[in-house]
Amino acid sequence: MALLELEEVRAGYGPTSVLHGISLEVPEGGVVSLLGANGAGKTTTLRAITGGVRWTGDIRFRGHSLRRMATEEIVRRGIAHVPEGRGICTELTVDENLRLGSHLRRDGPEVKKDYDRVFEYFPVLKQRRRLSASTLSGGEQQMLALARAFLMRPKLMLLDEPSLGLAPIIVRSIFEIIRSINETSQVAVLLVEQNARIALDLSMTAYVLEVGRVAVHGAAAELRGDDSVRRSYLGY
Amino acid sequence: MNLQRIRMAPPRYWLVGVVVLFLIGFPTVISSFLASEWAQALILAIAIMGLNILVGYSGQLSLGHGAFMALGAYISAILAHHYKVDYLLTIPIAGLATGLVGFLFGIPALRLSPLYLALATFALAVVTPSLIKRPAGLTGGVQGIGVVQPDPPGAVSNIFSTITGTAMTSDQWIYYVSLFCALVLFWVAWNIVRHRPGRAMRAIRDGEVAAAASGVNVRGFKTLAFGLSAFYGGVAGSLYGLSTGFVSPDTFPVSLSIQLLVGAVVGGLASIPGPLAGAIFAYFLPIESSQWVPNQSWIPAQIAATVKNAGPAVSYGVILIVIMIFAPNGLVGLARSGYSLLNRRLRGATDRETGQMPPDPQTV
Amino acid sequence: MQEFLQQLVGGLAIGGIFASLALALVLIYNAMGLVNFAQGEMAMLATFVAYALVSQGMSYWIAFPVTLVLAFAGGIGVQRLVIKPVERAPILTLVIITLGLATLVNGLAGFIWGYVPRSFPSPFSSDSVDLVGVFVSYRDLGVIAVSGIVLLAVYLLLQRTTVGLTLRAAAHHPEASRLLGVHVSWMLALGWGLASAVGAVSGIMVAPILLLEPNMMQSIIIYAFAAAVLGGIESPPGAVVGGLIVGVTINLAGAYLPFVGGDLQLAVGLAIIIGVLILKPNGLFGRAAVRRV
Repeated sequence: MALLELEEVRAGYGPTSVLHGISLEVPEGGVVSLLGANGAGKTTTLRAITGGVRWTGDIRFRGHSLRRMATEEIVRRGIAHVPEGRGICTELTVDENLRLGSHLRRDGPEVKKDYDRVFEYFPVLKQRRRLSASTLSGGEQQMLALARAFLMRPKLMLLDEPSLGLAPIIVRSIFEIIRSINETSQVAVLLVEQNARIALDLSMTAYVLEVGRVAVHGAAAELRGDDSVRRSYLGY
Repeated sequence: MNLQRIRMAPPRYWLVGVVVLFLIGFPTVISSFLASEWAQALILAIAIMGLNILVGYSGQLSLGHGAFMALGAYISAILAHHYKVDYLLTIPIAGLATGLVGFLFGIPALRLSPLYLALATFALAVVTPSLIKRPAGLTGGVQGIGVVQPDPPGAVSNIFSTITGTAMTSDQWIYYVSLFCALVLFWVAWNIVRHRPGRAMRAIRDGEVAAAASGVNVRGFKTLAFGLSAFYGGVAGSLYGLSTGFVSPDTFPVSLSIQLLVGAVVGGLASIPGPLAGAIFAYFLPIESSQWVPNQSWIPAQIAATVKNAGPAVSYGVILIVIMIFAPNGLVGLARSGYSLLNRRLRGATDRETGQMPPDPQTV
Repeated sequence: MQEFLQQLVGGLAIGGIFASLALALVLIYNAMGLVNFAQGEMAMLATFVAYALVSQGMSYWIAFPVTLVLAFAGGIGVQRLVIKPVERAPILTLVIITLGLATLVNGLAGFIWGYVPRSFPSPFSSDSVDLVGVFVSYRDLGVIAVSGIVLLAVYLLLQRTTVGLTLRAAAHHPEASRLLGVHVSWMLALGWGLASAVGAVSGIMVAPILLLEPNMMQSIIIYAFAAAVLGGIESPPGAVVGGLIVGVTINLAGAYLPFVGGDLQLAVGLAIIIGVLILKPNGLFGRAAVRRV
């Protein structure tokens, strides 16, 4: 039984249908990429998982169906979702944003350890703790979003386009940190990315979406190596 | 108007005709006192129509409509009392003056967000009685000013006695004056709404930015709406003074503005018949809840006593909340959906009428 | 000079009352973008509840917190029953509903207790005390102290506790908060409860001065609107500062401007509202519209 299973999921917004039967799996501790062009349904898939959009089919997390569950409940079961646009609370300080990540946890000493890890990964967050989150640059906000998600100590992280709008050097360092989080803390990652190359470098398996359906899927290594797949679907 | 057009007129027009005839004939069969009550209901309908133009059609929420009524009432009373102007003449004067004030008021109002406008007009409504009391020399202060109710003119009185066999009272004459004003003003409103100003206002209500982008003069129409709304309020206030026989600061408390809003909402915003339905509701609810309800033997004594003692405020409040939650389009909205529902059932709705697309025979 | 200082202290006292009610308005505005026109009437009802408790023999300083708890519960009840069903309706619909609520609560109080004004006890004696050469009444000092404590408590709750943090997050960033496990819907109810309790304080403090009757809060709410608008409708500290400024202003205006007198003080409140909205719509501490994510 995989950590996360989607079975024939259909979803849409009002009369417009976006997903036409998606099936995918994320194994425990695994890293899975969701690739494809704009409008293919990648963000909608993540939204469906955390209850932001109505869906039919089945979505199971740790064996339990997430049907009809409120977003807050789903998140409390161990899924952290960093949405498009990062969802930073700009009315609050950096520290307050981080505290929102850890506010549900009861394991005090572990929380402290995780804060130390976070500040190791992202020293700039420690420097700007007391400042309003609105003063952070794009890259720093992405770090904050990631740090906040990590502090939730989730079993699964959903990351929506973490590289969007960031300079390549920052993207590389962020992806290094994602890898580190995945390897040391066994947090599974479902990654939506337009930058297919860097996503495939990080992942074990990948699914390529096209117009709401899974067009291709398989081990990341194979997809990386397959020229036709790369050219038709991944644009490089 | 040729017979063809009369026969082709939609059922709505027949209904309006019936209602108008009914209202004209009404005083001949009811007591003079009841006529004066219905006059006040009609006056309220005029005020509510004004509020409806502002809130329902142009989307600006004003909670201070009572202040416009107060202004119109006092202008008329002062002109009649201090300057001996014939009262009926003061009605259009008061209306126009109040309309001008409203128009000017609409200019700074353009800068306020809807919430702030509601807030500022609410504050105005609360302060109005205090503002009236101050210039006591002019307004008569707390005592107010008495209004002499005119006798019906000879010709009209004769017609009335011929029909009913009794002499016409002042109250009945005032009823007809109010009815006349109401008919004229409703007709004017109907025309405004049907033509360009109405369309412009509705476009503004539904989305200012889009309206402006389509070339609608947003500022002009919004201030026009304020001016018109105030005009109606002023006329209503003036008639109100006539109908009650006096004006005083206590006649225009904030609860009047609330009553007008209740009437507008319950009747149905953005509709022409709405203000009439709403006025009848808003005016008669307090009266009936303290008189009619306790006298009905089929209503359990407990409930009747509670309704009577709790007074109109509780009923107003509950009804306002319930309507906004369940029927935001008011009585007229309910009537319309009920009518179209019935219509579809009776005529045996086909797929086409319920909005489904029929299968297109040409596609494969 | 003596008299000026006395009027100043009196202004601060009444300003504390305005500040409490204004803070309640700001809390709800922050949570939903709505001005609760029924806030004053809800405070009045809470004060009547306090009155009932004290009349039954409960000591003032026990009835006070009990009333706040009941007001808190009442606020949550109102949010769940009346506001939640129409959460997604346009703002004007919500405004009209709060007006309906105001009318309803006013009528309810009138129905239960009638319209005859009653005297309401104050725990502070009406004597004056000599403070650095100025005679100020214990009552004014007491009101200032109580308002100050309540406002401080709310500040600490919002800024220093986790609950306060989640409240603020849910108010300003509902979608993002859901993704962090915050029960946004409960937070909204909590916000209403908190606002109701804070508003109740203003009612209890003002009742000994104005005499308790259903229409007691009608002018206070206008001053509270003025305070909230002056301070910036989104700013809790603004509500406090605004309240104090409005309180001092109307007191001094009533005392020193001959044409204002007692009854036109309310017009001063109106003038403040209109003046601020025209000259500086965001108030002293407000910012331009905040985007909510």
